Amino acid sequence: MDFAVQANQVCKRYRKKTAIEDISVDVRTGEIYGLIGPDGAGKSSLMQCISGVLTYDSGEIHVFGQCIDSEKTAEKIKHRIGFMPQGLGLNLYPDLSIEENIDFFANLRGVSAELLTQRKEMLLSVAKLTSFKTRAMKNLSGGMKQKLGLICTLIHQPELIILDEPTTGVDPISRRDFWEMLNRLVMEEGMTALVSTAYMDEASRFHRLSVMHQGKVLEQGSADEIVSKSPGWVVEIETTQPDQVLATLRTQFEIVEQLGQMVRLVAFGQDKNTIESILKNLLNSEELQWHFLPIGLEEFFIQRLKNHSATAEKQLQKQPDLISKSHAKNNTADTSALIKADKLVRRFGNFTAADQVSFEVRPGEIFGLLGANGAGKSTVIKMLTGILPPSEGAGFVANQNMAHSGMAIKESIGYMSQAFSLYLDLTVLENIKLFGRIYGLTGQKLKERIDWVIKIGHLQSVQNETAGSLPMGKRQRLALGCALIHQPKVLFLDEPTSGVDPIGRAEFWRILVRLASDLGVAILITTHYMLEAEHCHRLALMQAGKIVAYDTPYALKQSLKQRKGQVLSFKVTHPYRALSCLEKAGYQDISLFGNRLQLFSKEVKDVSNNVINILKNNQIEVKDTMVLQPSLEDVFVDKIETALAKHELS
Amino acid sequence: MNWLWWRRIFALTQKELLQFSRDLILVVATIYFFTGEVYIAGKGVSLELVKAPIGYMDHDQSLASREWLNKLRPPYFDVKGQITEQSTALKLLDSSQLLGVIDIPPNFQRDLLNGRPTEIGFQLDGSNVVLGNLANSYTGLANAYFNQEWMLKQMKVTPAQALEVPRVDVRQMILFNPEGNNAWFMSISEMMTVMTMLSLFLTAAIVVKEKERGTIEQLSIAPLTPLQILLPKILAVELILLCGIALSIFVVLLPVFKVPFQGSFFLFFLVSAVYVYAVSGLGLFIATISKNLAQVMIISILLLMPIILLSGAFTPPEAMPEWEQALIWLSPLYYYINMGYGIILKGSGLEIIWQNLLALFALGTVLFLFGIRQFKKQFGA
Repeated sequence: MDFAVQANQVCKRYRKKTAIEDISVDVRTGEIYGLIGPDGAGKSSLMQCISGVLTYDSGEIHVFGQCIDSEKTAEKIKHRIGFMPQGLGLNLYPDLSIEENIDFFANLRGVSAELLTQRKEMLLSVAKLTSFKTRAMKNLSGGMKQKLGLICTLIHQPELIILDEPTTGVDPISRRDFWEMLNRLVMEEGMTALVSTAYMDEASRFHRLSVMHQGKVLEQGSADEIVSKSPGWVVEIETTQPDQVLATLRTQFEIVEQLGQMVRLVAFGQDKNTIESILKNLLNSEELQWHFLPIGLEEFFIQRLKNHSATAEKQLQKQPDLISKSHAKNNTADTSALIKADKLVRRFGNFTAADQVSFEVRPGEIFGLLGANGAGKSTVIKMLTGILPPSEGAGFVANQNMAHSGMAIKESIGYMSQAFSLYLDLTVLENIKLFGRIYGLTGQKLKERIDWVIKIGHLQSVQNETAGSLPMGKRQRLALGCALIHQPKVLFLDEPTSGVDPIGRAEFWRILVRLASDLGVAILITTHYMLEAEHCHRLALMQAGKIVAYDTPYALKQSLKQRKGQVLSFKVTHPYRALSCLEKAGYQDISLFGNRLQLFSKEVKDVSNNVINILKNNQIEVKDTMVLQPSLEDVFVDKIETALAKHELS
Repeated sequence: MNWLWWRRIFALTQKELLQFSRDLILVVATIYFFTGEVYIAGKGVSLELVKAPIGYMDHDQSLASREWLNKLRPPYFDVKGQITEQSTALKLLDSSQLLGVIDIPPNFQRDLLNGRPTEIGFQLDGSNVVLGNLANSYTGLANAYFNQEWMLKQMKVTPAQALEVPRVDVRQMILFNPEGNNAWFMSISEMMTVMTMLSLFLTAAIVVKEKERGTIEQLSIAPLTPLQILLPKILAVELILLCGIALSIFVVLLPVFKVPFQGSFFLFFLVSAVYVYAVSGLGLFIATISKNLAQVMIISILLLMPIILLSGAFTPPEAMPEWEQALIWLSPLYYYINMGYGIILKGSGLEIIWQNLLALFALGTVLFLFGIRQFKKQFGA
């Protein structure tokens, strides 16, 4: 077998901190290899070592058989490598147009004029960017920037491309788009791709991958292989009384959580039938519906780390007591909406950033606002928090009209933005105290609230450290605490968990769920993590300033299921060839996930048999077949595609 | 504006000071500006001619010529020696080894003895205008002494008798700085320039830093008005700079340069506070139009130049072209220098400077309101 990259026990230290420790990775030619892990896992350092940008302290790295140990040796294979650094379009020039950017990179790489014209045309059409050729890079959406970055990395026909978190901060649609483009190019050009990501749900996109955490490799192999090391199932139970179901299930299962109007159960080491029978005993199966899902990498990661470190487990099991006696539960006799958007419109010149946006969030409700970057989510939040006056329409927050009670609204809301917006050079305690005083707290009351914030955020051990020295997860909990210091009834969260590792996110959500259920706080949140969207009681999906879907996650998935059916997933031996065979046979909208092909179908049995037959005739073996429920990401993609199609028709 | 209003201001001011104190480089630089920089300006920059290197070409080699050259005295001049060739003289002037070359013609003494007027050549490096002018006038003075002595000698008048000749003697009475001490002037004006620079830069930097990090977003979503967000920043800069100026006065001006502080300290600090308020308004404006610290730096320098040039610190207003004179009132430093020198050296009281103080306050308020308006526009609060 040919290897594009062979890294053997590589170590890299920055002064005191160890970035990567004893990492060995083998990337075969022609595969898409993934490095997956949260921020600070060492993915970037490893990629930079492999591409010869960074020196390493010990170990060996071979790229195409060439040992990379100095600048000189790295230079030898640089023309065969394309490297795209982390950050949305950071290596591109914002004032140049798409075409100018491509030309620049081509000249840099010495691509001949002929080849350039030909490749440019091909790459632009694959990326669906041909019609935007003359648009300046700074005016592109996040997803487009990322695709342009990929084109510039590919312009000199590299044999190996190294992409550092190409999908971070990009919405699910653009992410899916990006993966399709990468799949096609890897397939057609026969190159090798080494890609890192912080999204665990992208694991299935890779042929093989390494799960990384704190500079070490936890697991290696294909996503299926890794997950099968701790076999188990995820069960999703639809219910109108999540509290009761939750309590009942806790007696038998370790990992149970409430996601909006759904209870999600993770059971390791038990087979489907055992779980089924336990559930039948515990719950009234006539009233409740449940379905099984295979364990995902996210669940696996959390489980793996729990065994890995005792502290993580302690952190997860400790249930903070949110309700101190001084402020008992708000008896929600008053169930009128705490956030109400009524046909909000905001225009910037000719551009309508938000168009007739209406929704309601009641006390104790977690409301998710989803959409691509630039779909208008931030504009809506800015209007509701009173920092941007709407062009038309009205909004009510905490029973105040935002048109004339801006200050009163500000007093009663908490806000946390996607960028960490606390003072990095102040300590944890100083930050909390500052915001407490800004909201007018003093004396005993201030002290009580500071203690409360420290307690719910598990910040006791870092009270006197500067915020800048905290890891992501703790920073976000601190920011949440500061947003909650004045006991707001309404909480706005703008992508609060981007870049936080799964354990940190699980912990963060545990706090949010309790805030909503125990304190009756109305929460509006935006996120790109689809699993987080499942936590919401209701979702609104925005596209080009408009809300294109507005319902509970369950109802959204149900309606998609009724329209398009269920998801068939086939694990095959030759995914690229299988894809083109099926496309030839007339199947459309097939997505490629590593070694798996997925498609929607209403007649599961017929289609499944048909597909297996077609593939068999082409000497492709189907290793297994799964029937999955449509995910929220599927809903997301479907709704946006429908909206786009409508837009094109009109 | 109730109690809570002020409590918020207080909390935010405290935060700014805390953040400033955490920025070691900024603290050290500020301390250096108020001490080291002021000291160097007072000690180093001199408006007198000291040890100007002079060469001579004495083609006469007579008693008279040697006597003339003898009038170029230290410490003003440093006569380096004889040059024989004109080309050497030019070379030495070109390479700045000499500031000037005296050329005494042949027959210098004979012409003088025969009662014929004669000339001496003086080639001078005028590239440094100040030094050139000084060297020129000091040489003229030396020549006058020589002429006077020569004339008296010709008239056979002894120095003792010369005293009986009636002559005009100007009795100068230099007020406020009787010894014409340059260090006083330079150190005080440097201190004021530092104040200008830092009130402009620190304010802009504090605000733009919040913009860069996005923390301003969190503040604008809190129940704070733009005034409540910006005022604490200016208060913090006020406190930092008033401490700085106290450092300057009590560590450098008084003990090192023995500046006679004639007026009231309190009045000077009050004037300084108003000055910081005025300039920091401009700093706010810079912060609203800048995206990052680099832009703040460039725009600060851009604005600093005219403020200093127009202030009259280095050129008296009377010597400026008319259009420039018309703009002087726009430079806050102009008022500050007027009042500052007045209080420190002349001991002026409020009754003398109140007009200037009022004008400065008005200018500051206009700039401050403008800064707040820009901020409101940007953050829509």
